[in-house]
Amino acid sequence: MTETLAIHIARSPAKKKSWISRLNWTGAATLTLLLLLWEVLDRAGAIQFNFIPAPSDMIGGAVELLREGSLQSAIGHTAGVALIGWLIACVIGVVLGTILGISRTIWRWTAASVEVLRSFPSITFVPLAVLLFGFSSAMELVVVVYAATWQVLVNTLEGVHTVSPGLRDVARTFRLSPLRNITTVILPAAASKIIVGLRLGLNLALILAVAAEVVGNPAGLGYGLMVEQQALQPERMFVYFISVGLLGIFLNAILQLIISRALPGITAAAERGQKS
Amino acid sequence: MSPSTATTNSPGKRFKPKSRVKRGNSAPLRGLTPLVLGLALWQIFGAVDSPYFPRPSTWVEQIVDFYGSGALLPALGATMRSLLLSLLIATIIGTILGILVGASRFFDRALGPTLEFFRATPSSAMVPLGVLLLGYTLTMKLSLTVLAAMWPILLNTRAAMREFNPTLLDVAAVFKMSWFRKVRTIIMPAVSTAILLGIRVGAPVAIIVTVLIEILTGVTGMGALLAQSQQQYNSAGTFALLVLIGVIALAFNFCIAAIEAFFTRHLPPS
Amino acid sequence: MEPQRTQPTMQSDLAFSCQNLSVEVTTKEGVKRLLDPIDFSVRKGEILSIIGTSGAGKTTLLRALGGLIPTTENSEVLADGVPIQGPPDRVLMVFQDYASSLLPWRTIRKNVALGLETQYRGKELQKRVESALDLVGLRKRADEYPWRLSGGMQQRVQIARALAMEPSVLLMDEPFGALDAITKNSLQDELLRVQEQTGATIIFITHDVEEAVYLGDRVLALGGIPGRIIEVLDVDLPRPRHQIYTKELPEFLRLRHRAYESVVEAELRLRSEE
Repeated sequence: MTETLAIHIARSPAKKKSWISRLNWTGAATLTLLLLLWEVLDRAGAIQFNFIPAPSDMIGGAVELLREGSLQSAIGHTAGVALIGWLIACVIGVVLGTILGISRTIWRWTAASVEVLRSFPSITFVPLAVLLFGFSSAMELVVVVYAATWQVLVNTLEGVHTVSPGLRDVARTFRLSPLRNITTVILPAAASKIIVGLRLGLNLALILAVAAEVVGNPAGLGYGLMVEQQALQPERMFVYFISVGLLGIFLNAILQLIISRALPGITAAAERGQKS
Repeated sequence: MSPSTATTNSPGKRFKPKSRVKRGNSAPLRGLTPLVLGLALWQIFGAVDSPYFPRPSTWVEQIVDFYGSGALLPALGATMRSLLLSLLIATIIGTILGILVGASRFFDRALGPTLEFFRATPSSAMVPLGVLLLGYTLTMKLSLTVLAAMWPILLNTRAAMREFNPTLLDVAAVFKMSWFRKVRTIIMPAVSTAILLGIRVGAPVAIIVTVLIEILTGVTGMGALLAQSQQQYNSAGTFALLVLIGVIALAFNFCIAAIEAFFTRHLPPS
Repeated sequence: MEPQRTQPTMQSDLAFSCQNLSVEVTTKEGVKRLLDPIDFSVRKGEILSIIGTSGAGKTTLLRALGGLIPTTENSEVLADGVPIQGPPDRVLMVFQDYASSLLPWRTIRKNVALGLETQYRGKELQKRVESALDLVGLRKRADEYPWRLSGGMQQRVQIARALAMEPSVLLMDEPFGALDAITKNSLQDELLRVQEQTGATIIFITHDVEEAVYLGDRVLALGGIPGRIIEVLDVDLPRPRHQIYTKELPEFLRLRHRAYESVVEAELRLRSEE
């Protein structure tokens, strides 16, 4: 086997690459190239979409929005609601997920219900939320919490369920109390899957926040998008659009950073789980 | 990620949730007890004319109403058509791109950030953009749904290409297979499993985005009907449609899972 | 049984003839030699066992003979008199990782048919598949999927798939390494039976020195990094071989002793070179 390895993967011992060589130059180059192409074609009049502004126009729009202060407050609002909602969802999701996952009896009596409710697209709850809470930030928060909780719950559930029987036996042999069992064995073992849930939950939180804003809360990036779209101001609209994307990437990166600092080694395991 | 919905019952019972086989610990129908109990209690103890929390019986009335007024079926048809079409296109595009970035490091790195940006941007944010560019059209609906739903397929395909079992490639060499035969008998079947998994994960996404677009833009469909009910303060209708859409999603996902199970029956049960 | 004589053999009697066979691979650090130039030949119908220390290039050698990796410019490797350029005709390889070598989405029957499908159809194809399955005794499970079979059976499927092509040479990389002792013994005897029936040349790698002596007509011991031939043993034991009686013969014990020694010697040489 080692000989096969020698041929197939004739590789040097892992050297620490400098961070410069690790940056994705090809990718950055492609992106920059595309942006330049866009700019040139737009200026040259080759692209005639009325509603796709050149990148340079968008920068202008961005400056405008920043000067007005609308961009910052929109970002602040959306990020705030998404994060708060996500945090609430994390707590509820992990707690409920653990409870449902630990007790076989409880699971047997609730599994099918969880499966059914889980399939209900979270977006369908937005009109309901509007009905109950009107056009408000409360509505937005409720929607975010609802959607993100399911995500976290489901992943926590899976994490707890897949704790190896061997570990559970260890806990029993040491006669750990239920609380110690959970905190010292179950949760750490399920940690990588739970973390996948947290990340997905954050993404979902952002998505639903923006969706709720578009439907009916006059605040935040979603609302900004709506307003500029209806006012036929594509440059400003694109700025909001890109802000949403960047916010998503930013929040994900921060979360990733926190996780890798707090729980080193967990990200590799989580990454493997994220494939599906 | 999502617990596998392996089928033990026959399909065809559209509005009755199926039991799931879960690691030898079956979650049988009794798991529906909380739901059924909840609905029953609501029905019994709910106020007869509650404006915000109408009883489940009113929901049924509303559905009948919608059906009678001729609003239900066209909406249903529009949503289903859009769903199936977008899933089909998403599969095609996701597979092609997945193979491309999976097989070629160059394309993987070149297209990476661009793809990543689109993947990371929430579909809800893309709706106003889509409307601006393409108007309130089927094209817009399909484009956005495809854009959102193709990611699991693309990623799974990419993973399958990159983690391709090298021994199988050796086997192809030993049996002196032509490139064409190698692709047809070894690469495609191996990748198909990944594609099917991607479709199963992508189907709920397609549902969500389709309904999302319908809600946000009022384009014909179940979501639009739902939004209308809300705007008309028809709470019973809102609840009814919410449940109906949920059940449809359930049935759809179930069918997709059944298809996947059928085509992967050569795999050991996991 | 007459002891094998080292008489000059005609090219046409040789399944393989290698002069200066050497394998090098280019890595980031430069050129790395995996196999030092070696000379040897393999007669048709012979069973050659290859043993040796890890890293000595056993798999490299096998893959070179199988045309899966290139040899250096100075190497001269002839398969049945023809220089090797890619997998030679009627030379088939059986891989160590049998589970990964079978197509999981095909039934056993269809797996065995893999090499034949392009040339044969219908009844003719079926006939050949069936006879290959019979050779390894797997006719009954032919319509199941690979995952349902045990490791030993999966390996037999791989062997059947190769045999279906009626190869003149079988190259096997630790074919029985991952199997339990009982399965291993029964597969060893099956291999001997098959070889007798088909007259194929078999070159196989093994870590099991006893297996090497039990099965082989000759044992090739490789050692050192890069690998080179430490010793070639002629195995003069009578055929047919028997799991119990052959292994009690004094000659068997002597050969086994000698083979172990050469591996140990190679191991020591390796240590001293490090």
